[in-house]
Amino acid sequence: MADRIEGVKKLFTSKSARVDTNRGDAHYERLFQICQTRIEALKTQTPQQNRLHIDDLLEDQGISRRDFMKWASAVTGMLMLPSSFTPLVADAALLMNRAPVIWIELSDCAGNTEAILRSDGPKIDEILLDIISLEFNETIMSASGHQAEKQLEDAMHTFKDKYLLFVEGAIPMGLDGQYGTIGAHAETFYDHLMRISKHAAAVVAVGSCATFGGVPAASPNPTQAVGVMDVLKGKPLINIPACPANPANMVGVIIHYILTGQIPELDSLLRPKFAFGYRIHDNCERRAHFDAGEFVEEWGDDGAKNNFCLYKVGCKGPMTFNNCSIIRYNEGVNWPIGVGRGCIGCSEPDFWDKYAYERPMADANIKAPTGGVEKTVDEFGLGLLTAAGIGIGIHAAASLAAGKKEESGEA
Amino acid sequence: MITKQLIEQIEGEATVHFTMNGNTVDFATVAFPHFRGMERILQGKNALDALVITPRVCGICGHAHLMASVRALESAYVHMSQDIQLSTKAQMIREFTLLMEIVQNHYKWIYLTLIPELGKLMPLSNMSTPLKGAFAASLASKALASFSGQWPHSSYMLPGGVTCDPTHMERIKAQSYLRELIAFFENETLGIDLETFLSFESCKEIRSLSSDISRIEQSLLSLGMHEKGFAYDRFVVFGNHGFSVPSKMKQTRSYSVKSKYVSIKDSYSPQEKTFAKNALYKNDYYETGPLARAMTNSVPIIRNIHRRFKDSAYSRVVARIFEIASLLQHALELLKLMELSETSLTMPEPIHTLTAEGIGIVEAPRGVLIHKVSIEEGLIRNYEIITPTQWNIGSDTKESLTPVQLAMQGVTQEEALFIFRTFDVCSVCTTH
Repeated sequence: MADRIEGVKKLFTSKSARVDTNRGDAHYERLFQICQTRIEALKTQTPQQNRLHIDDLLEDQGISRRDFMKWASAVTGMLMLPSSFTPLVADAALLMNRAPVIWIELSDCAGNTEAILRSDGPKIDEILLDIISLEFNETIMSASGHQAEKQLEDAMHTFKDKYLLFVEGAIPMGLDGQYGTIGAHAETFYDHLMRISKHAAAVVAVGSCATFGGVPAASPNPTQAVGVMDVLKGKPLINIPACPANPANMVGVIIHYILTGQIPELDSLLRPKFAFGYRIHDNCERRAHFDAGEFVEEWGDDGAKNNFCLYKVGCKGPMTFNNCSIIRYNEGVNWPIGVGRGCIGCSEPDFWDKYAYERPMADANIKAPTGGVEKTVDEFGLGLLTAAGIGIGIHAAASLAAGKKEESGEA
Repeated sequence: MITKQLIEQIEGEATVHFTMNGNTVDFATVAFPHFRGMERILQGKNALDALVITPRVCGICGHAHLMASVRALESAYVHMSQDIQLSTKAQMIREFTLLMEIVQNHYKWIYLTLIPELGKLMPLSNMSTPLKGAFAASLASKALASFSGQWPHSSYMLPGGVTCDPTHMERIKAQSYLRELIAFFENETLGIDLETFLSFESCKEIRSLSSDISRIEQSLLSLGMHEKGFAYDRFVVFGNHGFSVPSKMKQTRSYSVKSKYVSIKDSYSPQEKTFAKNALYKNDYYETGPLARAMTNSVPIIRNIHRRFKDSAYSRVVARIFEIASLLQHALELLKLMELSETSLTMPEPIHTLTAEGIGIVEAPRGVLIHKVSIEEGLIRNYEIITPTQWNIGSDTKESLTPVQLAMQGVTQEEALFIFRTFDVCSVCTTH
């Protein structure tokens, strides 16, 4: 398994990770036809148990049609579709309650459920997630125990081979799976996942635990926790890592599914490219300081006060693929780099062991996805990390020279 | 005969095994069937890694874990006779974000746990939707994120301060979220302005309102919850904050506390495997959480309620709701008093110079949270986490009942399940 993960990492920056945002008119016209036909067909179906209407709820929350269309056009852009798709995306959003979603929680901290289903509401993304989850989410539905199990069975039966299965949390394989059991029959998380995924149309692993094992899998991995992709075979699988994962990316996946009946284009780590096609670094608000060679050299220094680049105090933005520099967290209020603590690379495999918090990336002895091992910045300057690595080397080295001078001045 | 009840929606799952005596509970044990091994994971790691890993123990009180970790590291520095210069501003920012986390927790608990659970015992009309709790919680977490970057799982504290360096802009943003939250609380939950509500001294005054809180209060009374759910009437508070006083109480007498008397014991659960451990003080069980904080803080209305109804389920619930009000007011003051020109962070010596033991104690939403760390040249040799639910929801033999076991005794199974939740239980924290 370790070999496999390493192998996957080698593919990290391969062609498959490239983002193609213009596929030509012919492609989009065909896609438009497919989506339109699908939406029309979905409109004729009635939701099974979910009687809530999204338009009513939006109105209740004081969200106007105009706001809703603005949101739809933003999502269209996020999904890398031409703006002509906006009305279809809006229709797809209104059909969210036709998307059968089952959400299960395994070995986790409930952080994704907290982040996504409870704490970020109720903007449009969150209202939509509430709608889809109201009947299918184990954590927030009112039924419990045997009743809940019955509801789950019913949902699995009614939507056989059609439902999307969202999985939050890792799967502990140690002790025959006894580190995590669920329900009245104390089913192990592994058995639970296998049973429920069997007739899923696709599985979506949400958060870093479900995708790569997450913090429970941190060395020495006491419970032998693994991610869904390590145990689930023969099913379409979408990974939405990050700790916690961002609600917008989840909605993107569901809407894409409603729109096209397919899963979105993925990178080599099975992450949707629309969300994970760029590095944090590419769109970081502090990027200008990086380019100017202005770094925070130590926590709390003048650089920190002036919002300089956090690379030298351990920011993992240059090698972390995620869109938080654009969509941020808590409804766009802020994000880690906004409060000067740097990215910890929480959407990348092994961040809990390799991307240690405070240590500068250059000191962390990280095996870069391209295979090279970084050298200590103070000794050799930076090795090639990613495409951005060249830039990092030059800028960090330049500011390092200045830092060295100051140090010798003090001594 | 022993019946098994599954308890969900507590950030994970727990099971309670009831031994009945006719219609009432004779004895109950609790099991938590999940385990991740957080303490083991921390061993051998860089001590600063704790600041990233421990917040991920829990998706709902991760911030309290972060603060406990940073306090543990700071105390280790102090034990090595290294000064930690923590500016008043940094302390205030830490406290403000902690308050917001407690508020969002309590708010969710009212609307996603308490009201639905009350609804199982009696018909409730005019009671609002879970979205109400989600909305208020989102305002609190936005105010929190203004300083911490994100919620849940923020890691913006470091030994010596906080990484953020807020401008007036951030303060104004946080203030506006907070004001919106207070207005929402006044209109949707209290039915009266915050200040008047805080001046209340008896539960009769709550009854005079017509709002969610008065309806909750009425329902509790009509269910007889003021005569049920009694634990030992012993409380502990350890965290040192602007809103709490570390002390231990037996009935109404308070004593000083020392963390060295805290001990851990394996849970008793003969029916099912559990990964939980019970927390004790001088080998006795104590209740922790909002009721304990209000009692040791001598909050008049809670003292009055306690005089009449002791540590009943009723007192526990009202104390938690009342705490939202007092914390919101405290948060407003903190924002106002914050001197933004002060230093955010003064770095202590590099972490690899550190060889010492440290302890970090915080009042988390559900009560006392303790982190103990032993560090050798900057690496973690040992890490121990004791969470609030370990105090309240332990499981022991019939001869030495834990607070929740005692509180569930002598009532029907349905009532017992409600009383269980009045402690506000967190499964993922308990076993971590």
